[in-house]
Amino acid sequence: MQESMGLFTIATILREIMSQYVSNPQWVDLFMALINIGGIFTLISMAAIVLVYAERKISAYMQMRIGPNRVGLWGTLQSVADMIKLMSKEDIMPIGADKWMWVLAPVLLFIPSALVYAVFPFDQHAIFADLNIGIFYFLAVASQSTLPFLMAGWASNNKYSLLGGMRTVAQMLSYEVPIAFSILGVVMLVGSMRMSDIVAAQQDVWFICLQPVAFVVYIIAAIAETNRAPFDLVESESELIAGPFTEYSGMRWALFFLAEYANLLAASAIATTLFLGGWSGPWLPGWLWFLLKVGLMIFLFMWLRWTFPRLRVDQLMTFGWKILLPVALGNVLITGIGIYTYKFLG
Amino acid sequence: MLGKGLLKGMRITFKRFLGKKVTVQYPEEKIPMSPRFRGGELELDMEKCIACGLCAMACPNKAIQLTSVMGENKKRRLASYIYHSGRCLYCNLCVEACPTKALNWDRNYENSRYFRRQLDVDCLLSSQQSGDAEGRF
Amino acid sequence: MLKTQTYTLNMGPQHPSTHGVLQMVLELDGERVVKAVPHMGYLHRGIEKLAESRTYTQFIPYTDRLDYVSSMGNNLGYCQTVEKLMNIEVPERAEYLRVIMTELNRIASHLLFMSSLAIDLGATTGMIYGFRDREHILDLFDMVCGARLTYNYIRIGGVMADIPAQFISQTQKFLEDFPEMLKEYHNLLTGNEILYYRLKDTAVIDGKLAMEVGLTGPCLRASGIDYDIRKVDSYGVYDRFDFRVPLGENGDNWDRYMVRMDEMVESAKIISQALAKLPDGPILANVPKVLKPPVGEMYHRIENPRGELGYYIVSDGTTKPYRIHVRRPSFVNLQALGPVCKGLMIADVVAILATLDPLMGEVDC
Repeated sequence: MQESMGLFTIATILREIMSQYVSNPQWVDLFMALINIGGIFTLISMAAIVLVYAERKISAYMQMRIGPNRVGLWGTLQSVADMIKLMSKEDIMPIGADKWMWVLAPVLLFIPSALVYAVFPFDQHAIFADLNIGIFYFLAVASQSTLPFLMAGWASNNKYSLLGGMRTVAQMLSYEVPIAFSILGVVMLVGSMRMSDIVAAQQDVWFICLQPVAFVVYIIAAIAETNRAPFDLVESESELIAGPFTEYSGMRWALFFLAEYANLLAASAIATTLFLGGWSGPWLPGWLWFLLKVGLMIFLFMWLRWTFPRLRVDQLMTFGWKILLPVALGNVLITGIGIYTYKFLG
Repeated sequence: MLGKGLLKGMRITFKRFLGKKVTVQYPEEKIPMSPRFRGGELELDMEKCIACGLCAMACPNKAIQLTSVMGENKKRRLASYIYHSGRCLYCNLCVEACPTKALNWDRNYENSRYFRRQLDVDCLLSSQQSGDAEGRF
Repeated sequence: MLKTQTYTLNMGPQHPSTHGVLQMVLELDGERVVKAVPHMGYLHRGIEKLAESRTYTQFIPYTDRLDYVSSMGNNLGYCQTVEKLMNIEVPERAEYLRVIMTELNRIASHLLFMSSLAIDLGATTGMIYGFRDREHILDLFDMVCGARLTYNYIRIGGVMADIPAQFISQTQKFLEDFPEMLKEYHNLLTGNEILYYRLKDTAVIDGKLAMEVGLTGPCLRASGIDYDIRKVDSYGVYDRFDFRVPLGENGDNWDRYMVRMDEMVESAKIISQALAKLPDGPILANVPKVLKPPVGEMYHRIENPRGELGYYIVSDGTTKPYRIHVRRPSFVNLQALGPVCKGLMIADVVAILATLDPLMGEVDC
């Protein structure tokens, strides 16, 4: 069952069907690439819709209430209703806003969130672009999402948004470094940055057992990168109302929202690939295992969000630089010593 | 251990995640109101009312306006009784002041209206109709 | 030439965490506050002026609406002032019922404090748990007097109505479940390291500043000064109950939080003692229907959940008071914001507003 329903098998079948109608193999490649891109965009949009519903339901269950249950069966169409509402809202631009920066900020935020999906291994041989710098590409592109926050914060002509934007830059820059070092531990164990190699190296034992400290550091830094509680002082509702997003309404705000949930899915997918063994699993097809593990990580993130209060800015910076970074560096040191000892012992 | 408090908090939310929910699914299920609940609009029992005017005098906000006429055999009768529910504080002073216990709450909490003039209730009319229909201007 | 300058941020009347309509004009240097000026008065309803055209009994519902979260306390303060003015003796059963209701209301008010502190700091789940448990207390009040928030229960000379039969058993059930609920809050909020580091050692009000500004209530006791009006200047039958007054040490946010959590435990103790000793008898003294106090003035104060609530009544011998002034604890407590906010960060301003526990209905009167 694993091989016959894998994504690669489905892709091969599609390719064969298309080659019967289209003679030139390069056109077939182009069409396959377009289908892949379409699949990824569908995944991102579905992710936003499903994750919004999941967040509302999970938070409700933790707070002993029921959550949406009127629109559609068990409230599943609630996100669709929200999307329709957002699309029909009036688009207000604040007076004195820097027009082009204000308009471009949500667009520029969404682009890196979509670009990182190119290197995720959804199944065996089912990566859109199996770069040999796979994980490094993820780090580089994901850190591009810092600037649009600052653009939105500045261009809104609003002191609260500016405060939110400045806090974002501080937070996201500070937590890039621990993420990089926690990923470095895994790369040292594998010896290559290619995503399929990383998954292949976890066939015997998942890296969460070999690198537990790196896993914890990654989780904390990933929460900070995706601006979720307890590190959500960027958009802290009770202090800054919505941080850099305050002045956006309607579809522009929906783009921010989409980008935020796409980021969340991306962070969970990286955690799955690096620490939980990616798509590998005994009996079900690979992509189903991938989805299950990603779902588990998302539940963990949501669980953390709805339990903890948020940190203050200076506490966040102290934690990132003075606690998390030394722990991550220590992990790299111990991993290095461990690898050397392992090779020495044969 | 440093993070122990955090983990304890996570355990509580997880326990509640799997536990029973306290939501009451209104409008299919409704929580019953207590017998002394002060809500809705005043109901006047015409038989018992002696038109003494004590309720209007007791009200802090002048939410009750009544006029009475001297009827036959020298007994006062109620001519009109308007209850401005928009001004009412729901303080219960009128209900307590009534010597014949003719005034009571109808304990209905679903009383939002579309127009402000519908907040002024003619209690005589609704008492005469003695059913669900309410007197409105 | 590069230079920095301070900017003015208006945490305006419409803000999710200013506990009502309070405007704080903050002058900030980066994220640090240089000067904070609170502007109050957005909820002013002229209650003290309205008192001049209402009789003494008709004014009681208006006192409910001052500090609407702890209405029983407001009613109690006013009625005791009028009783002191007129030398009315309140029956025993009514006094015990008053104590039970006021202490239940203290628990409800502190639960609301905890919930709003939780949501201001970002722990939304903590807020929902607090409100869920407050519902039990509001159901008790609904059973007794028919209203959940503005009770008009405590009257001049006694209370409005006797408790129904199932009140005692339901209250005892609540008191039995209460330690469980407290344990949940302590595990979720008090034990949480993030909350601890957010509140510890921030916004310190030492004893000297507290006394200069005129703080009362849990904020004063958190700064280490042992002053609880129920012990110092006891009113009603509070001298017959055995309870202790929790004190803090430093006067920071954490102490203000812990003092209120401990006070809930003490209130539960008082309620169970009062239920055990509840005597029989009338619930309202023989007060004339038309109250005409003698000419004079009287000031009386009680310990509200927020501090010292005082009523100053000037009577000129008619049925309507000549002047009523309410010494509102939240109004005086908010004066501490000016000196304390210097050097805090914005997140701490939100925290100090939550732990000073102002209620704008009371601040603006």
